[in-house]
Amino acid sequence: MATMTDAAEVAMNGDGAVPLASEAPPGVAAAAEGEAFPPDVVFRVEVLNCYYGSHRAVRDVTMDISEREITAIIGPSGCGKTTVLRCFNRMNDLIEGARATGTLLFRGVDLYDPRVDPVEVRRRVGMVFQKPNPFPKSVFDNVAYGPRIAGSVPKSELPDVVEASLRRAALFDEVKDRLKDSAIGLSGGQQQRLCIARAIATSPDVLLMDEPCSALDPISTAHIEELMHNLKEEYTIVIVTHNMQQAARISDRTAFFTADVDAESNSRYGVLVEFDDTEKIFSNPSDERTENYVTGRFG
Amino acid sequence: MVESLRTPFVDELEEVRVELIRMAGLVIEAIPRCTEALLASDLAAAQEIIDGDNILDDASLALEHHCQQLLALQQPMAGDLRTILAAMTINHELERSGDLVENIAKAMRRVYGIDFGPRLRGLITQMSEEATRLMRFAVDAFADGNSGLAAALDDIDDRLDRLNHQCLALIVGEEGREMGDLMSGVQLALIARYYERIGDHAVNIGERVRYMVDGWRPGQPEESPADQEPDLGAEAADG
Repeated sequence: MATMTDAAEVAMNGDGAVPLASEAPPGVAAAAEGEAFPPDVVFRVEVLNCYYGSHRAVRDVTMDISEREITAIIGPSGCGKTTVLRCFNRMNDLIEGARATGTLLFRGVDLYDPRVDPVEVRRRVGMVFQKPNPFPKSVFDNVAYGPRIAGSVPKSELPDVVEASLRRAALFDEVKDRLKDSAIGLSGGQQQRLCIARAIATSPDVLLMDEPCSALDPISTAHIEELMHNLKEEYTIVIVTHNMQQAARISDRTAFFTADVDAESNSRYGVLVEFDDTEKIFSNPSDERTENYVTGRFG
Repeated sequence: MVESLRTPFVDELEEVRVELIRMAGLVIEAIPRCTEALLASDLAAAQEIIDGDNILDDASLALEHHCQQLLALQQPMAGDLRTILAAMTINHELERSGDLVENIAKAMRRVYGIDFGPRLRGLITQMSEEATRLMRFAVDAFADGNSGLAAALDDIDDRLDRLNHQCLALIVGEEGREMGDLMSGVQLALIARYYERIGDHAVNIGERVRYMVDGWRPGQPEESPADQEPDLGAEAADG
């Protein structure tokens, strides 16, 4: 069994083989050893369907998320974009009755294989939420929290990990004299960057962001966007945003989801309409539904 | 039925389109009027053409400002963005076309009193009609979002190019030399060139219409199978 540190190293080296479970699932060993899974693909989603109880919330999503790119997911409310995002680190497991069918491979490993440890998945695939949610602890303890519970970093090295994470989140200079102060005293934008520092302290492979700037002012938003641009050198980022201009500014690829209505049950479900280079989506989309959405029309 | 959630913006975008079509109307109307003045040696009418270009210049500046406002304030996307970008370029093409009409009127004063003769008179009339027709097709393509018509303008323009060559041959030939001195010949050649350039601007407008409608940009491969057929007209046009 690989140690957490080994796993992190493997991930950082982009090696493809990702020990997420105590024993590799049968299909996984082949995927890990074989050359079949492209190294620049982080997530491969094939015919993903998400259910809440009997209600199918997302239908037949197929897409590849590429390494070290920012992928934006846009679409109207109720189109399933957050549901899909939460599949990427199995956050939906925490919702009773939620389940997913289809294939979701992370570096070639089936994320929904019963032997995969969801806690390890969430360490490798970090998440930042809409509302900054620092723990009611010191700035230092917030960032040190992940490495501490994972036991992945010797205590003597924790200050270095905390500093490095805060630096990568472009926050260190602003809080270096307040590391022992409560994180709750930071501004909203600083709190959100602290949450990003906390997410990257466990050396994840991927950062999921669910509308990370919607509670922030334009200056703080600009800070986060610049930070995302820099983080892209080391991490793969998937962001859900309601702000189309933000998706256009920061992302390399954009997925547009919309909500369709099931004629039989009269229930709404999300579908992926178009997934392409961001420039294409915002200047010359292929699908009329995308065109209507990004130009503010509906029909 | 597609409705907009951004009614004021959509209304303003429509205003840009209408302003542009109105400008094109000024150009389309000025070309035959200028030709009439030229062939009738009507100095007063030529002065009207020259003064009239100011209206087009003012409209062009106003349209540019309007487009700039929409870009800065409305963050247009996709088809809306392409429409505004196309409108800005087409605006420039129309403004330049207006200048060319003005140039013809000015050149007319420099050859005042010359006897054009029936053949040159006929060629100038034909060039004027072709230039007007091309500009009308270009603005129709814009107004209707007709990328097929827009793409055809380059080939339609071949006829105007041929007329220009015929004009030049006549001017430098014996008949032309009998009309006046070398400077008059240069002015007549420039007049023919101005009509031919108006046609080129119409072709450029067509390219921008294609960008607006399909996102196509000059230099990109053609997608229509019709465009991949051998072009039998190309050789004749080059000759």
